[in-house]
Amino acid sequence: MTTAVAATATVAPKGPRPRGLVWTVLRVHRPALLVWCAYVLLMVGWMLWVQHVSGARIRAELDTCRRRPEGACIDVMTFSHSMNEGWIGTFIAYSSYGIAAWAGAALVGRELERGTAQLAWTQSVTPTRWLTAKLAVPAVALTAGTTVLVLVYRWFWSADEVLRGDEWYYTDPFLNRGPAILAYALCALAVGALAGLALRRSLPALAVAFGFVLWFHLYLDDHWSELWPMRTITGTVSGHDLDALPASHFWPLHLMTTGVVLTVAAAATGAAYWLLRRRTR
Amino acid sequence: MTDTAIEAAALGKRFGWRQKGWALRDCTLRLPVGRVCAVVGPNGAGKSTLLAHAAGLLAPTEGGISVLGTTPSAARERMAYVAQDKPLYPQLTVAETLRMGAELNPRRWDAAVAERIVEEGGLDFGSKIRSLSGGQRTRVALALALGKRPELLLLDEPMADLDPLARHQLMGTLLADSAEHGTTVVMSSHVVAELEGSCDHLFLLGGGRVRLAGPLDALIAAHTLVTGPTGDLAPHTVVESRTTGRQITALIRPEGRIAAGWQTAEPSLEELVLAHLRAPGAPALTLTDEGDADNSRGGNGGDDDGETNGTRTHGASV
Repeated sequence: MTTAVAATATVAPKGPRPRGLVWTVLRVHRPALLVWCAYVLLMVGWMLWVQHVSGARIRAELDTCRRRPEGACIDVMTFSHSMNEGWIGTFIAYSSYGIAAWAGAALVGRELERGTAQLAWTQSVTPTRWLTAKLAVPAVALTAGTTVLVLVYRWFWSADEVLRGDEWYYTDPFLNRGPAILAYALCALAVGALAGLALRRSLPALAVAFGFVLWFHLYLDDHWSELWPMRTITGTVSGHDLDALPASHFWPLHLMTTGVVLTVAAAATGAAYWLLRRRTR
Repeated sequence: MTDTAIEAAALGKRFGWRQKGWALRDCTLRLPVGRVCAVVGPNGAGKSTLLAHAAGLLAPTEGGISVLGTTPSAARERMAYVAQDKPLYPQLTVAETLRMGAELNPRRWDAAVAERIVEEGGLDFGSKIRSLSGGQRTRVALALALGKRPELLLLDEPMADLDPLARHQLMGTLLADSAEHGTTVVMSSHVVAELEGSCDHLFLLGGGRVRLAGPLDALIAAHTLVTGPTGDLAPHTVVESRTTGRQITALIRPEGRIAAGWQTAEPSLEELVLAHLRAPGAPALTLTDEGDADNSRGGNGGDDDGETNGTRTHGASV
């Protein structure tokens, strides 16, 4: 016989710890969170190493080389430095591809495929609240991690102009030095969630979310320079007018790009909620 | 407080855009609270679709369904649902799964009930869900559902993965819990035998439509199994008849007195269900709780022959 079972013993004492849906999302997606943290730490560590260890050595060698009378310092070292710099920039600038794939497959698609989403919806949790937690918890982790990456990258980028291989208008430094890269991360999250909800299976959702973000990223990469009027320089080169992209246009262009990406993110989020409301009661 | 656990009005659900894709059509039924209701029917009859609608997981294409006197979404907190494939997070341990139940049902969770069900199966709280057998997973899923202390418990094929012993024991736990707290239980199955003796209400679905609905005793009382020489069974409604030699065995809904030449018997639940499954053309029959014939199609009136006379009235008053 069960007599007056008021014992809710497993409910742990109150304190500043995640509860409810936040706890559930964190627990279920703990591996993904660990991978994200490892990625951020790895990138930060790499930038620190390139700047302070290998970069310092190269700068020292360049110095001694330039002091020699025969001159002619071959840029082999500088080349390896800018290679590293290029890879770091690429890994940050294209992180949204991985985020989209994960969000489509693991965050939402697999949950609907396996029925664990429906398991959550038949607890005391509405589908809308479930989706909100599913988007908000990763969004906080992505915002925190990306902010760290952007700040370190900005420092890394501006630290030495001597060894730098990329120009400001290259894809990686253009995106990585401001909120655009965060907008891409959030957009990938929303697109992945939408694909997962729409397709309800992990592999198709992975493919569609990854494919869309790939296309969108490449498309915008071709077109961001049109988002702000060019400065026309008259008559400098053999009397012709020349459209130029001055470095001072970085922030207007960057913020316009951020705006476009955030618009897509907001549209995908809205569509995801709309779809979920239409499907369930 | 309402006395209706589930009420569906012309509920219909079509998957996809095909005209033939109706999983459930024109489904009208009512289940009073406190019942243990069996939803039976062949594969593809619409059992899971009906339960998923009651759980608020699907939006109906047409018609509507109300649960515990309100919409399924408003009743979410007061009902529990166990889906057919018992979805759980494979990477969580049993203890973490129950913790999730506590986290997601902060106002209702009864840890003692959930833990008792897990312990009765001899499960280790530290083992991962992915390492459990199908039957053990069912047990954890049921623990999660009962730990919520639901007023309405929706179980889709709950016992399919369990061995006979565990099935008997879990069914006992379920029924004891239902009796103790007045929980309404709705469970679907295509194995009729596992429901006999534990249910007092029946919904029989076939081809996405309601075939039989009502209190079990009243439904059984409305039917008679007759055996006799080949002959005309009019004016009774014949659900199904089979001829062997000169003998005919038929399940009928008596309309008035059965002629003297027939041997009559009360059908079992299994006979009732099987006869209706074998005869998809038989008219549908819905009996209300009070056993009156107002809501019935196909007829429930008139006197029975002496043998079935007693069952008629007491079926109504349960």
